[in-house]
Amino acid sequence: MAEKQLQKKRMKFSTQRNIFTYVILLIGVVISLVPFVWMISTSLMNLGEALGTAFFPSELHFENYAEAWRRADFTEYFVNSILITLITLVGQLTFSILAAYAFARMEFPGRDLIFSIMLSTMMIPAMVFTIPNFLTVTWLGRIGPIPWINNWPALTIPFMGSIFSIFMLKQFFAQVPDELFDAAQIDGAGHFRFLTQVVLPLSKAPLMVILVLSFIGTWNSLAWPMLVTNTPDWRPISVGLMSFVTEAGQEINLTMAGAFITILPILIIYFFTQKQFTESIARSGLKG
Amino acid sequence: MENKNSLKDILTGRSGRKIKEVITAYAFIAPATILIFIFGIFPVGFALYVSLHKWRIKRSDFIDLRNYVNAIGNLAYVVVFFLGVAALFGLFLLFRQILKMARENSEKPWLTILPGLFYAGTTFAFFRWFYAALPEVLGIADKLRGMERSQSIFMQFLREALRAETVLPAWRTFLWLFLASMVVGGLIYWFWRNKRTMKYQSFFALAFLALGAGVGLIYYTFQRVSAAYAEAFEAGTDPGIWPQFISISAGVFLLILAWMLWQRAPKRNSKGGFLLHILAAAALLVGGWLLIGEIPTIIASGDKDLWEGLKVTVFFSLGTVPFQLAIGLFLAVLLFQKVRGSNIFRILYFIPYVTPGIASAAVFQQMFSNRQSAPVNMFLKFLGLQPQQWLYEPRGILTILGDTLGFTVPTWAAGPSLALMVIIIHNIWTYVGYDTVIYLAGLGNISKEMTDSAEVDGANRWQVFRHIIFPLLSPTTYFLSLIAIIGTFKAFNTLWIFRSNLALGTTDTFSVTIFIEFFEKLRYGYASALAFILFGIIILLSYINNRTQGSKVFYG
Repeated sequence: MAEKQLQKKRMKFSTQRNIFTYVILLIGVVISLVPFVWMISTSLMNLGEALGTAFFPSELHFENYAEAWRRADFTEYFVNSILITLITLVGQLTFSILAAYAFARMEFPGRDLIFSIMLSTMMIPAMVFTIPNFLTVTWLGRIGPIPWINNWPALTIPFMGSIFSIFMLKQFFAQVPDELFDAAQIDGAGHFRFLTQVVLPLSKAPLMVILVLSFIGTWNSLAWPMLVTNTPDWRPISVGLMSFVTEAGQEINLTMAGAFITILPILIIYFFTQKQFTESIARSGLKG
Repeated sequence: MENKNSLKDILTGRSGRKIKEVITAYAFIAPATILIFIFGIFPVGFALYVSLHKWRIKRSDFIDLRNYVNAIGNLAYVVVFFLGVAALFGLFLLFRQILKMARENSEKPWLTILPGLFYAGTTFAFFRWFYAALPEVLGIADKLRGMERSQSIFMQFLREALRAETVLPAWRTFLWLFLASMVVGGLIYWFWRNKRTMKYQSFFALAFLALGAGVGLIYYTFQRVSAAYAEAFEAGTDPGIWPQFISISAGVFLLILAWMLWQRAPKRNSKGGFLLHILAAAALLVGGWLLIGEIPTIIASGDKDLWEGLKVTVFFSLGTVPFQLAIGLFLAVLLFQKVRGSNIFRILYFIPYVTPGIASAAVFQQMFSNRQSAPVNMFLKFLGLQPQQWLYEPRGILTILGDTLGFTVPTWAAGPSLALMVIIIHNIWTYVGYDTVIYLAGLGNISKEMTDSAEVDGANRWQVFRHIIFPLLSPTTYFLSLIAIIGTFKAFNTLWIFRSNLALGTTDTFSVTIFIEFFEKLRYGYASALAFILFGIIILLSYINNRTQGSKVFYG
């Protein structure tokens, strides 16, 4: 009898606690998402409403998006950003895959030394690199056949060698069982064929994460593009959004539309890859 | 015998394949390694070179440490001197290691000193050549101005640059030393074949490098300091480096001593332990008093923008990291209780982290606008409070709080400006989801048995959390706090978007200060010096974090 009462009490207690938990978690969701809701709703208002106190638009002004797109020249910036991202990604993935494979599965003198020297540079703040790299890039543009400033090389080539990607892929490649390699060798496959036909198809998840992270990184970079571009020819979307925000000033319905246009591609990619993404982030974090 | 075999083997199948594999491996790592070298390792040496010059767009005079002295005053000399001392201490540690290894294997490795010396000499010769050749090679771009850019002309200029009279002797020294060290190293390897030969050789090489660096840095600082005294003597002023030097070193030494005594003191209440604690406390007090006494002088002699930047960065770190971690942990613990739809919560919490910071900053800028009708000001009105200027408000939050409550807060206690508070809120908002996801993974690694058995023993939920879950999460907390602290020191993009002239620089962290020096004032040399100081601070912080928190991390 007493036991039953206790159980009942415990159940009641736990439902109360459950409600409490849900309320807190929902408050968290609201706080995380309110800026997005406000952004979207403001982006659909007319200017008067946007500067007023309304939280939701009385009628939907989708034409704000067209106007923001036109005024901010988003076509050009989008094309620039996508080109920059693609060139960077192709280079970075190719080079990182090759290097990570060699560091993980091949033996050569100086392997650990080279890897640890490269790894130690991850601690150095970007500001230390920014100034000399700017000078290097200017110099390379002045001696080489094509200019680097205001052109794609300055925006892409420095980011093709990524120690972070190499590190992450190396961790994964090292886990591929040796038996697979032995079997491939018996079949007469060398390292390159083993890499392309066995290892890569097994590593879709880390490749996806590197892809998304580099995409976000390139999409979000600001200081470096500001330095190495001074005309809109190759300026990425981040710089475009920044100058649009200053230019449009008080027309916040337009700037919010611009912000949403910038966020949307990243959100779409995130929702398609969120499972691998959060899991890989969690795993990489735990390894520390 | 063995060697002959391996020579033969090179020509036959197995070794041939081995060599082929090594060549393939180098080909695989070549593109990434070359790029990381050009844009990730070489720049460190280049930035050091820039920071030792007066450099506004174009390189001007070599002014040794003066950029650093302009930034942090005489503290620069003290730091460089102690870098030299640290190198000598490293030499001592290496020597102890060598002796230990020799004793354990009862061998006499003294012959390997010779190749070690040569390796170290080669390294120094390389750096001498590097810094001699750098300006000549950089100058090629100027020579090419207005000329046709063809490969042959470039190669001709490159040849000229590398044969300049400052460069060629350095190159020759390097080359001879390199060849000599190859020969000596090979001979020693031949005579004294031992598994550990190469280890001894590299240890001795490192020891000689440390010796050279240590003696060089200390000698260099003494020279600089006496030059500064000579200059000051002519101008009839006193640079006051020596008194400052002595009190700073004594202060730091006493602080380290206090820390060591505290660590050594036995935990139990014994007389010795009590005495040690008292001694440690005394050392802490005296050392702290010496250092705090020096701070005004250092600040007065350094760059005001830099100290402001540092203060803002500290506010930014302290305002962000603890809250972000606490909220992240709280949400993770709630989510971990088998909440229905926890996956959806996780996805939603993670959105701010993946959103481009530039765009979300633009949104926050408008939500925290100074308009009366902006959402946050509307919310304040709803609560019956005064609307605020937010990002345009340079006054500290405690000053504002004091004003509304009707008392005056002294200027030193103003706290972070309201403008910085907006940035802090944005930063917390961005990273809470990330921390939640990583804490969730950390919670998943804690075995259920431990918490269950504690509950059987009658511990309540808070006790279980406080005494079992939280200590077991310490590696995660350590990792997250390190990343977050370093992140606040490196943050730039969102701070640049939020920046407004009306905030009077109260949101300019160290990184922003460096960028302004570089991008707007075009002082490349000075900005590089500041970047190195930032680097030093980050290393120091990670070290302290490692020492204080790392020792408490419990890998259950």
